[in-house]
Amino acid sequence: MIYLMLLPILFPILMGISLLVRKEMKNRPALLITTGVSLIITALLGLLAIILARGEMLLLFNLTATLPIIFKIDNMGMVFAGMTMIVFVCAGFFSFEYMKHEQKEKRYYGYYLIVFGILMALCFAGNIITFYLFFEILTLSSMPLVLHNGSREAVMAGLKYLFYSLCGAYMALFGLYFLNKYGNTLSFSEGGVINAELAAGNIQLLLAVAFVMILGFSVKAGMFPMHAWLPAAHPVAPAPASAVLSAVIVKAGVLGIVRVVYYLFGASFLRGTWVQTAWMILTLITVFMGSMLAYREPVLKKRLAYSTVSQVSYILFGLSVMDAGSVTGGVLHVICHAFIKAALFLCAGAIIYKTGKTRVDELRGIGKEMPLLLWCYTIVSLGLIGIPPTGGFVSKWYLAVGALESGMPGFSWVGPVVLLISALLTAGYLLPVTIHGFFPGADYDYQKLQKKEPNSFMTVPVLILTVLSVLVGLFPNVLINFIQQFVTKIV
Amino acid sequence: MKEIMMLVVILLPIITGILVPLLPFKQRKHMEVFLEGLVVLNSLLVWWLLTGSQEEAFTLARFTGNLTITFKIDGMSMVFAGLVSALWPFATLYAFEYMTKEEHEKTFFAFYTMTYGVTLGIALAGNMLTLYFFYELLTLVTVPLVMHTLTREAILASRKYLYYSLGGAAFAFIGLIFIIIYGNTTDFVLGGVLDLNKIGDRTNTLLLIYVMAFMGFGVKAAVCPFNSWLPDAGVAPTPVTALLHAVAVVKSGAFAILRLTYYSFGTDFLKGTWAQTVVMLIAMFTIVYGCSRAVKETHIKRRLAYSTISNLSYIVFGATLMTPLGMMGALSHMVFHAVMKISSFFCAGAIMHQTDKHYVHELDGLGYKMPWVFTVFTISAFGLMGVPGLAGFVSKWNLASAAVESGNPVAYAGIVCLLISALLTAIYMLTIVVRAFFPGKDFDDSSIQDIKDPSWKMLVPLVIFTVFIILFGLCSGPVVSFLKDVANGGY
Repeated sequence: MIYLMLLPILFPILMGISLLVRKEMKNRPALLITTGVSLIITALLGLLAIILARGEMLLLFNLTATLPIIFKIDNMGMVFAGMTMIVFVCAGFFSFEYMKHEQKEKRYYGYYLIVFGILMALCFAGNIITFYLFFEILTLSSMPLVLHNGSREAVMAGLKYLFYSLCGAYMALFGLYFLNKYGNTLSFSEGGVINAELAAGNIQLLLAVAFVMILGFSVKAGMFPMHAWLPAAHPVAPAPASAVLSAVIVKAGVLGIVRVVYYLFGASFLRGTWVQTAWMILTLITVFMGSMLAYREPVLKKRLAYSTVSQVSYILFGLSVMDAGSVTGGVLHVICHAFIKAALFLCAGAIIYKTGKTRVDELRGIGKEMPLLLWCYTIVSLGLIGIPPTGGFVSKWYLAVGALESGMPGFSWVGPVVLLISALLTAGYLLPVTIHGFFPGADYDYQKLQKKEPNSFMTVPVLILTVLSVLVGLFPNVLINFIQQFVTKIV
Repeated sequence: MKEIMMLVVILLPIITGILVPLLPFKQRKHMEVFLEGLVVLNSLLVWWLLTGSQEEAFTLARFTGNLTITFKIDGMSMVFAGLVSALWPFATLYAFEYMTKEEHEKTFFAFYTMTYGVTLGIALAGNMLTLYFFYELLTLVTVPLVMHTLTREAILASRKYLYYSLGGAAFAFIGLIFIIIYGNTTDFVLGGVLDLNKIGDRTNTLLLIYVMAFMGFGVKAAVCPFNSWLPDAGVAPTPVTALLHAVAVVKSGAFAILRLTYYSFGTDFLKGTWAQTVVMLIAMFTIVYGCSRAVKETHIKRRLAYSTISNLSYIVFGATLMTPLGMMGALSHMVFHAVMKISSFFCAGAIMHQTDKHYVHELDGLGYKMPWVFTVFTISAFGLMGVPGLAGFVSKWNLASAAVESGNPVAYAGIVCLLISALLTAIYMLTIVVRAFFPGKDFDDSSIQDIKDPSWKMLVPLVIFTVFIILFGLCSGPVVSFLKDVANGGY
């Protein structure tokens, strides 16, 4: 049973490679069927692995004598894996229609499947070496998705993505070398692995190392000051790829930080130190700055990318508070933000696909042309702003309450205030599309109105993501109880 | 018997080399078979020699007192001789194909094969004098290879190479004299041979001499500021640049530095002194300097040459840690870098041979025309960057964890240099890969229609090196534990 957890990792990677290599995949129906079936099988295999191999540990082999490759499915990994599978399958089916107007589909689906497998591996990684291994491969294999359309802008954005991410990865690697000496083990364990005897006398060194590692992984999560790649890279990718980049791949950075802070250094080691303060300040700056930049951005996809910068730092803020409530909120926001941001990017993609419009001010009357899509857009937007009864409300509630309860001088109220201001800005940058879309104004020419609702390959995935994001808000208790259960152990 | 064999493996290639221009080969093929046969035979002899157990030193000649020409196989010799003898047959095979486009083949192969014997002489040298003797000889036999094309550029480069190397050897000679005077013996003994009673209060003089000798040998290892000969020497045919200027010659420099530090002056004497700090800083500076220049360089071979400069200083950095772990890291990078760099150089050579393109910006779209070459190049690029699962990661891990273990704050800064260099490596290697595989939307491939992968003589070495890059990355356990034994004096 234990080898079952390799299947959702290996299967999509092998399928992806075979798509890239095999010539007969030039035939579009064959390509789509293979991809679709692979996506569904991978998701099922992932589910099966979670159910049957949960909590077990698989030592695959040793890179060197002291560096084992370990897979383990723990609760944190499960949350991330579940989110990954849903978003990947939805965005994958959306691509079937969307990618018609792009070239080189074979390459796209190949790398798409490979990235899927690698993300599953990240979720199931049992020690930091395994995590780091797949973290680097993730960067390398997701780059072709970014530069897919081959324009100069895309290639430059792809390279920017690559070098920022690698820079982050190497910062994390720097920490790994030190953890190797000062930790009891490199496996993730609740409460941390730092060896108190060795650490005594080197506390400042280790704190600096922890900070470097947090910064390193936060590059992928788009935290200030290493966020600049994100608004460049996410919008140039094809829309479904932007969706998985923004919804899932940035979360790999979040997962990295969770692992470093709560499973390697341990919350008790970092709580109350300068690392926590500095990290928290950075997250709050990012939350505000991201929203502000999104508010000023006229191109819809770029606006959504800036929104990702801001929203992912909500999660990081929750993690940096290190209070059970706020961490629960953070983990919940991982899920909510994934569904919402994927849905938003897919909506933006559908609009581009059908009308070719990219700027927000061109979207007047879009709600009359594609009402279903814009309803979905509106509902998930409300979720991102944090209006009940959507999922975003619950996660932000926990984030804010957790911050207030943490009792950190100053931050316990500065944090929630920044979150609130950012929520206002979120409304300011998302809702204009809805307002102008549904209420184009008196001078709008209804004669020229054409129904442009896309077909069900596009609408159904968006609909599923929307429904899921609402469901999380309506019935949050199941999830929250589950998350709280394991969060209390690590905080 | 075995003692004599040490002499045989050194002399056999030298004699073969001398015979090549003298023997009347009817066809080129006969020369190929003759050369390849003898080179393979010699390599087999070397391996037979290394696997057997022997502790005997073989003294060929005695000048006066303890000045002798002595050969002895210890752990370090096994590593270097094993490495060189494993690579030479492949490089020769590759050269047969490559040299079809060049003139004066016989001269080329004569000196090329003689170099094999001389390099083995360095590897098997049992004392400083013997090492010095073969070190000088190495300069002399490789000068004609650099000069090979007889263009003005090549002659200037070879003159520069000659002056630099001879100058460096002169400094090394000063070191030799002081070891003779202040040491108990000139034989290589792990831990050093200096007699502290003889030194008395002249410690600082000796340290100064160490730094001078280090810089002297450092000329061949291309440490800053004595590195400019190496990129210039890239005018030589690619088999020379790949094997000699990425492995045999430059690693002789690093090898000599290891001998000087660990086997002559001794780490007990040097560790913690200003001399250690000075040489470590030189190595760190070179690591970053080499990479930065590589990023700036647009000629493929010169770019790789700068990369070599940086990577050689990884080895030197390991040596300057002056701990057994540091030496282990240095040795592992010596072996792994050799495989990776020869692989990437051979790819560059294959590109030049097939397309006559020499600059990075000419490589657009070639990835699809020469899939084998560029796949191999990509893997070696990932290896050099240190992607986990490939050889480069393991050796960097060994170097960096040795630096952490040493507890020296300067060495911590060295880790930062290693990681900066890794990022720069990604930049200069992956820009080539991205160009080759993602040429951009408007790329017109009519100008590169007829370009194909080279023949099997070039591909076989490439594929074998790639297999080793992956093998060393995934299961380096046995190799690393062997190197650890060597560093601890186990052989």
